[in-house]
Amino acid sequence: MADITPEKLAQQIHDIRKPLNRISMQAELIKLVLENNLPPEKAIEAVDKILQSCQDCSHLLQSLLDTSP
Amino acid sequence: MLSILLVDDDREFTDVASHIIDFLGHTVSVAANLEEATEWLQHNNFDHILLDFMLPDGSGIHLMDRVQQLFPVPKVTFITGHPSVKSIIAELCGPKVDYLLKPIQREALEQVLSPGKAKIKKAAANQVKKHFDCLIGESEPMQQLYTMIERVAASNANVMLMGESGVGKEVVASAIHTASKTAGPLVATNCGGLSKELIGSELFGHEKGAFTGAVAQKAGVFERAQGGTLFLDEVTEMPLDMQPNLLRVLETKKIIRVGGSKEIAVDCRVVSATNRSMQNIAEQNILREDIYFRLAVFPIEIPPLRERSEDIPLLAKAFLASLNEENNTDYHLTDAQLQRLASFDWPGNVRELRHTIHRAYIMSDPAKKEIELPVSFASPFSAVKKEQTGLTPGKTIEEVEKELIYLTLKKVNGNKTLAADMLGVSVKTLYNRLNAYGGLGEFS
Repeated sequence: MADITPEKLAQQIHDIRKPLNRISMQAELIKLVLENNLPPEKAIEAVDKILQSCQDCSHLLQSLLDTSP
Repeated sequence: MLSILLVDDDREFTDVASHIIDFLGHTVSVAANLEEATEWLQHNNFDHILLDFMLPDGSGIHLMDRVQQLFPVPKVTFITGHPSVKSIIAELCGPKVDYLLKPIQREALEQVLSPGKAKIKKAAANQVKKHFDCLIGESEPMQQLYTMIERVAASNANVMLMGESGVGKEVVASAIHTASKTAGPLVATNCGGLSKELIGSELFGHEKGAFTGAVAQKAGVFERAQGGTLFLDEVTEMPLDMQPNLLRVLETKKIIRVGGSKEIAVDCRVVSATNRSMQNIAEQNILREDIYFRLAVFPIEIPPLRERSEDIPLLAKAFLASLNEENNTDYHLTDAQLQRLASFDWPGNVRELRHTIHRAYIMSDPAKKEIELPVSFASPFSAVKKEQTGLTPGKTIEEVEKELIYLTLKKVNGNKTLAADMLGVSVKTLYNRLNAYGGLGEFS
């Protein structure tokens, strides 16, 4: 990790927070749907998006590893 | 209902956030960058702007200049992934600006959007001022206590808290901890509740396999309170033969876990508590002298509730308010009730007062607004205690003398001449004693 500049690392961490933030919000949406007996399709859609964001997050973490020597 | 402008370049986030904000009962408009946001602001009024810090065409801060020229100035909440941005924002934009940390949770979002509501609720609950977040009372003895807490918090001296049962020694310990603003935690343990065998392991921890049942390594309270405050309740109930170990830790600031060999440096303030008097501790050899001076570098006497009866209404109201808040009710205490509470002498101190309020709260008629206080405050527990006569260690000669005099008077149906005869004192001496006890009472 020696040749990563602190700025670059900060940028990458910022990018990783993005899918995490999506996951958090989608989870809140699911909670709303369940608490208020709204149509389940909305929740399923949100679950799919969470799964996708998890993949994104994993790729970003992998790329963080790849950029280091 | 608020009109909200959400500025963020993450499309999926704005979609789901809009859904949630919509559900919370507000209307949302979305902008993906500064340009779109400026456009929205030109033609519409917003109550609140949720603004991402990093946008494709610049920083969210750049929008602030524009926002400040609007009338009325909308509230702005920055969305950021980095806690350190908070101080920068506070510096640049002043108090009208809030911030949300990514990943965002609904509760945080709700709070940002309705701070007014949260504030009103808080204000209602905090009618009674709490010193150091936990202590209630404005009386002279309490003011002195607050001064002492402040002074001692600035030092790192060990404190010994003395006071009757129920005066709130643990609360004062937590006040000292709060006032010290240390990085470490407050760890509490009760020395009276531990068996002789366990106390070493509780205080200093143990290594795996130190004794039967020690299946894993365990850190003692001294280690867990690192950089903070260790509260040793009922320290005078600690067995005498454990005290040298405690003394060594206090002197060297190093512990060795039970069954271990490595010295571990510890750094915490020790606040100890006892309901025995200083005199009692010294006379009855309960604490070794050297330990006493290590623990009580700064002794604090907590006043019993009857010596600060003006605080009783404040405390009663605060206890009732917290019960009301917990159960979503709205009971009140009348002035007459507060006066009745204040005139009782509360042998069990604040703890007893709190129990009485709680009991009264449970007994109260849900159809009424007023709480129903019991006819008599004396709990069976304190009554039994009062009637307990005879010789027990811990009583002063004066107490025993008083008890004997009253008992004798009772036996002879209040006949003072007979009583004086039986007691072997003159009638004059008997009268003097009775007057010293605060009048003749039922025997006048």
